[in-house]
Amino acid sequence: MRALLALLLVAASLTACSADEPFKILAGSEVADLEPLLKESGVEVEFTYTGTLDGAEQVARGDAGDYDAIWFSSNRYLSLIDGARERLSTQTKIMNSPVVLGLKPAKAAELGWDGKQVSWTDIATAASSGRFTFGMTNPASSNSGFSALVGVAAALSNAGDALDAQTIASVTPKLKEFFSAQRLTSGSSGWLADAYTARPDVDGLVNYESVLLGMRDKLTLVYPSDGVVSADYPLTLLASSARQEQYDELASWLRTPETQRKIMAATHRRPIVPGVHLAEEFGTASLEELPFPNRRSAADELIGAYLNQVRVPARAVFVLDTSGSMEGDRIDSLRTALVTLTGADTSAYGTFSRFRNREFVTLLPFSDRTKPQHDYQLPESDPEDMLGQIRSYAEGLSASGGTAIYDALRAAYEQPVDTERYSSIVLMTDGENTDGSEYLDFQLYYQALPAEKKAVRTFVVLFGDSDVDEMNEIAKLTGGAVFDARNGSLAEAFKEIRGYQ
Amino acid sequence: MRRRLLGVALAILLGGAVVAALVLGNQGSGVTVVRGVIGSEKKPFFEDPKVKASFAKHGLQVEVDTAGSREIATSVDLGKYSFAFPSSAPAAEKIKKARGATRTFAPFFSPMAVATFEPIVSTLTRAGVVSGTTFDIRRYLDLVAENTRWDGLPGSYKARKRVLLTTTDIRTSNSAAMYLAMTSFVANGDDVIRGANARVAEKVAPLFLDQGYSESTSEAPFEDYLAMGMGKTPMIMIYEAQYAARLFANDGTIGPEMRLLYPSPTVLSKHTLVPFDEDANEVGRLLTEDPEFAELAARYGFRTADPGVFAGLAQGTPLAQDLADVVEPPTYDHLEQLVAMIEERYL
Repeated sequence: MRALLALLLVAASLTACSADEPFKILAGSEVADLEPLLKESGVEVEFTYTGTLDGAEQVARGDAGDYDAIWFSSNRYLSLIDGARERLSTQTKIMNSPVVLGLKPAKAAELGWDGKQVSWTDIATAASSGRFTFGMTNPASSNSGFSALVGVAAALSNAGDALDAQTIASVTPKLKEFFSAQRLTSGSSGWLADAYTARPDVDGLVNYESVLLGMRDKLTLVYPSDGVVSADYPLTLLASSARQEQYDELASWLRTPETQRKIMAATHRRPIVPGVHLAEEFGTASLEELPFPNRRSAADELIGAYLNQVRVPARAVFVLDTSGSMEGDRIDSLRTALVTLTGADTSAYGTFSRFRNREFVTLLPFSDRTKPQHDYQLPESDPEDMLGQIRSYAEGLSASGGTAIYDALRAAYEQPVDTERYSSIVLMTDGENTDGSEYLDFQLYYQALPAEKKAVRTFVVLFGDSDVDEMNEIAKLTGGAVFDARNGSLAEAFKEIRGYQ
Repeated sequence: MRRRLLGVALAILLGGAVVAALVLGNQGSGVTVVRGVIGSEKKPFFEDPKVKASFAKHGLQVEVDTAGSREIATSVDLGKYSFAFPSSAPAAEKIKKARGATRTFAPFFSPMAVATFEPIVSTLTRAGVVSGTTFDIRRYLDLVAENTRWDGLPGSYKARKRVLLTTTDIRTSNSAAMYLAMTSFVANGDDVIRGANARVAEKVAPLFLDQGYSESTSEAPFEDYLAMGMGKTPMIMIYEAQYAARLFANDGTIGPEMRLLYPSPTVLSKHTLVPFDEDANEVGRLLTEDPEFAELAARYGFRTADPGVFAGLAQGTPLAQDLADVVEPPTYDHLEQLVAMIEERYL
């Protein structure tokens, strides 16, 4: 009998073993700070990170079958996509963080916003008269930016209910005033916080309270009295997963008072479980939650209005390698990637990645020398003609000759800086520098540039046989970032970069 | 490679163990596993060790999966289960018909209620919507029809939001459907709706659409109410059981400013079990007839056939002893037709 029992125990532990695949979560980068804590949960978890909108569309299309669960800062946009709800099983909210404004303490004092009730209207008025500047993530790529946009639009429209197309059209001029003070954008909340630290001329950030409280240099938090939109981080089991048990275990562990307190202490997010008391750092301001759109069309309309009408228009220079090594599949990929940005990708993520109305786009191809640049000023409306011109130019790109990366990059920095625009450079190359000036020459050149030119970041795309070390150096030097398309598609990398432009 | 071999060896071992377990199981006093799909609000009850122990006394082990009550009635594959236990009688009727079940059990029920805060109660009392603990649906519909905002009413709560009860998503959730049952009754001139009624849909659709985004389960917004307070959720339509369970648990989550109101008219959410086999019949019978289960269910805030059980616990709490002005919900199909008309407006 005892032997039998032992046998049964072995069997029991073995069943556990064979199900010992990690519990796979498709997550937004904004929950990456919880990964270390989850090691204590007793459930082996494997994270894969993706952008909010990109992830949402993957789930809605049914392309997230490899995962057991998703974990983004919110499921609200996802739930608006047709067919998405059916893909989701149990949802469990884990924590909470409102999107608010954080300002340098001196600036907050100067504006008289210290410990006073301030509304979004007050904030918009100060922004439009140039009294402060701020950074915010791109609403099409990051949930914090989208939540902020919904909050500001709802508050400034003075409507009491959910936003619809009509309200959005009428609030657009006010939004434009508010966002005229935006100096920094980004595809992710974490990168935004880092970029802000390196920019003393930007006075604050619109971001999750948790990110703002976690900044090394303390910020004064302004909780708009007319309301906020919060993230609630629902850990969501996918309907296709057979791992309900592990999910339940993980979700209930995350919601024990002890874990909730740990999350609060480690990540500055508010506990969601009733009865766990708030730490002092969260203050006592009462948070009025603003209604969130319940129609996909309204959400898309709002993002579209932001990109095409409201935001500070972009100035984007694309430095493109058309050397001989690009011949064949690679130049095809480049053509496709550029065409993708002219509106050929009709998914929501693709649509929001296209060259925007009012944007000034320069295509700067190079091989052993810098080739003639092509400028495209997109109009305020009806951009189809101009997009068509970009498309036909892109389709005609051909590859030959050597690779003079730094001469071309230097030419990009020679472009005049328009202070009314948000400027950035994309550098795509598939190999090492073979002609013209060297990296060190470029470094010296860059360091001698005036401040307004230094502020132009270079976003580097690794492709083919890129010199990874040098490319990283360029991104670091200019405050940009590196996007790896060596194992993925160039079009995906370009779309991701659009969140930073 | 070595790992793989080990795996094979263990798998053989496992096979033996399973056989052994089966043999053992058949010899001993076997435990019968009964699997059901239930509305999520009953999950804590079924997971309670005391409930499990009580079932075990009768040789039963009840395993549950959760799904929205409307999903249970429509999209869930019921073939895997011995019973369905949605939270409304109309959904259960629908399932009973579809599956050819011969009977149903209605062991517990809960009226719909409004959870809110003292400043809201005082504002709505002045506005004539609330008197005592009664929330007048007709007067509330009038306020909504006028697009009233909180800052437009005299009182201390000055948010710029519309006066709207928070509900779950009408397209997926039963508690929202119960709310639709009572509001459509009033909008239909105090009569139960009998099918797609455009005039009624016109009146009640804004109750859902104008809220903006709403959640798909009843527990999530109620937790927001408890944890985040008035700013997030000034007032919310819930099952009374949700509030009662927290009161009875005495876990400190019901704060001093929190209030419970009863809508007039209200509807009852009758949790109805539809058995598909004999074992499930026994589960239904025990839940309905065995006082031990009634006692346990009351702890989770449910009212049961014997009113004394709930009343005993509710003594000294704001929970109502007697329910007045209860109306019947429409049939499943009639309610669905109305939901479909509202659903169209989300596009």
